[in-house]
Amino acid sequence: MARIAPWLALLVLLTALYAMPHFAAGQPYVLHLLILSMLYAIPAVGLNLMLGYVGLVSLGHMAFAGFGAYVAAVLMVDVKIGFWSALALATLASGAAGAAIGVVCLRFRSHFFMIVTLAFGLMLYSVMNNWDSVTRGAAGFAGIPRPAPIAVGGESFPFGPLDHFYLLVLSAAVLVFALQRLVVHSDFGRILAAIRQDERLARARGVNALLYKTAVFALGSAIAGFGGVLQVSFLRVAAPASFSLAESINMVLIVIVGGAGTLSGPALGALLFVGLPEYLRAAQEWRLVVFGVLLVAITLFAPRGLAGVAADLWRRISSRRAQAAS
Amino acid sequence: MDALLEQIINGLMMGSIYVLVALGMVLIYGVMQVVNFAHGVLFTVGGYLAYFFYTRLFPSYPLAVLLSMGSLGIIGFALERGVFRPLAGNLRNQVIASLGLILAIENLVVAIWGPNALQFRVSATDVLVPVGELRFSVQHLAIIGITLAMVAALGVFLKYTRFGTAIRATSQSREAAMVVGIPVERVHWSSFAIGTALAALGGALIGPLFLVFPQMGDAPLVKGLAAILLGGMGSVPGAVAGGMILGVVESVSTLFLPTDYRDSIAFVVMVAILLVRPQGLFGRRMRGED
Repeated sequence: MARIAPWLALLVLLTALYAMPHFAAGQPYVLHLLILSMLYAIPAVGLNLMLGYVGLVSLGHMAFAGFGAYVAAVLMVDVKIGFWSALALATLASGAAGAAIGVVCLRFRSHFFMIVTLAFGLMLYSVMNNWDSVTRGAAGFAGIPRPAPIAVGGESFPFGPLDHFYLLVLSAAVLVFALQRLVVHSDFGRILAAIRQDERLARARGVNALLYKTAVFALGSAIAGFGGVLQVSFLRVAAPASFSLAESINMVLIVIVGGAGTLSGPALGALLFVGLPEYLRAAQEWRLVVFGVLLVAITLFAPRGLAGVAADLWRRISSRRAQAAS
Repeated sequence: MDALLEQIINGLMMGSIYVLVALGMVLIYGVMQVVNFAHGVLFTVGGYLAYFFYTRLFPSYPLAVLLSMGSLGIIGFALERGVFRPLAGNLRNQVIASLGLILAIENLVVAIWGPNALQFRVSATDVLVPVGELRFSVQHLAIIGITLAMVAALGVFLKYTRFGTAIRATSQSREAAMVVGIPVERVHWSSFAIGTALAALGGALIGPLFLVFPQMGDAPLVKGLAAILLGGMGSVPGAVAGGMILGVVESVSTLFLPTDYRDSIAFVVMVAILLVRPQGLFGRRMRGED
């Protein structure tokens, strides 16, 4: 019973999410918020693999999302190839960029790693902001298309309408979270956990730690790039500000608040990051003040994040039920 | 030739600002082994508080600067007590808390003073002094002079006073410092307070030259980090030299590079230094760096 309960809950959740356009037909606002949350959650999964499972705190994560986004933008608008091939190529390109830059960053530890990732993030940002002839500079890269309509059962399924694009982003998010679970429960994931727990011991046991860390940096960057392409396709414009240092820091906050090193953490963190400010209904700056204070409070009082708090609650409830039953 | 001299003096001025930020971060890193990423927003708050004191309280710029430094010292003390000390020993959470502080403080500044840049005019920016063929505002030269004076004062304090010696001892070995009876906790909060007061000084000095705006601390934070790495993590003279070198190189580079990429020089310098000479120009290899 206890084994299937989580899967059953997941099934209900997925059904509800896929049925959402029916419930929220008259409320584009809800779909809009959910799309935004998922667009944050997707790159957050990439960072969670690096930060949560290996302990690599990257302060330049969103720059890789931007790298993917701009590669796709150039491919779609200037080279005129289709959305799906551009998505695939941009994801690969972000992964390759992550591998190349990661191999340099990973020569450093703790603070130095963070500072170097921050420096690379700012460099990529500077290129997006200043290389006017390719990236269109600070004004942003406008005119990015939504995917072309696909044929579903003989009928055309365009991605222009909000509810259709919602289904696309939801499917992408499901794919990325499934990938996260696969990776974490694979041999690769177990080796990553071993490196996080004691890198010297892992190395002594014959693990090539640098290789695995570079691989996870590349994977995380590829996921970020994948999310970046979806983001600019949703907004129809790529703006450097979406990939700034502030956004990279937000990404770290999302992962930590949600619960680093948990499978559901990125989703919880992104939902809170987008949803809480909307719920508070205060001026934008006060929302972020609250979020910042919340983050500090979480590091002080609940270092395992929301997912950790939820797991503790669940354990307490189920042990109380077990006591009541016996 | 004049153009070169002008850029060198401009560079020394910007370098001084980087030095003030870097000194604070080096001091904090030295005793607590934590990089305070919130140092940039504290710099911003220093600029805004000086503006506030000057326009609302006393129309005396030097007094406004001192009040701003004092207030930031108190804020630094509170942050060390309330946030960094409870997280001592958990480096990752300390860094993440400092990221949370960036978000909270920067947006608090926007909530209080609005998102737009504010004019902060003091007479020192209008009075020009001739230097050879060129003219610089008093403020330019005052920034360089005050920074050099602060560096000298801090050097004397660390080297020749009892408490300065205690700070140096704590940064060498926390345990040994405790064994010989140094009040390590007091060293921690006072280093933090001095560091944040120095950041406030930087913000208060640069405010009148440019403008006061919510992101004014972002660039000094990054440049300050670059200066620390350049000089050698944890080395006070290194941070001074690193900041000045970075300021001058950046400024002189505008003579033959597009200004758009001026900011990237700091990042290239950072990564190159770390790859070629990880201990920086002046630093020794420190413990715990692996």
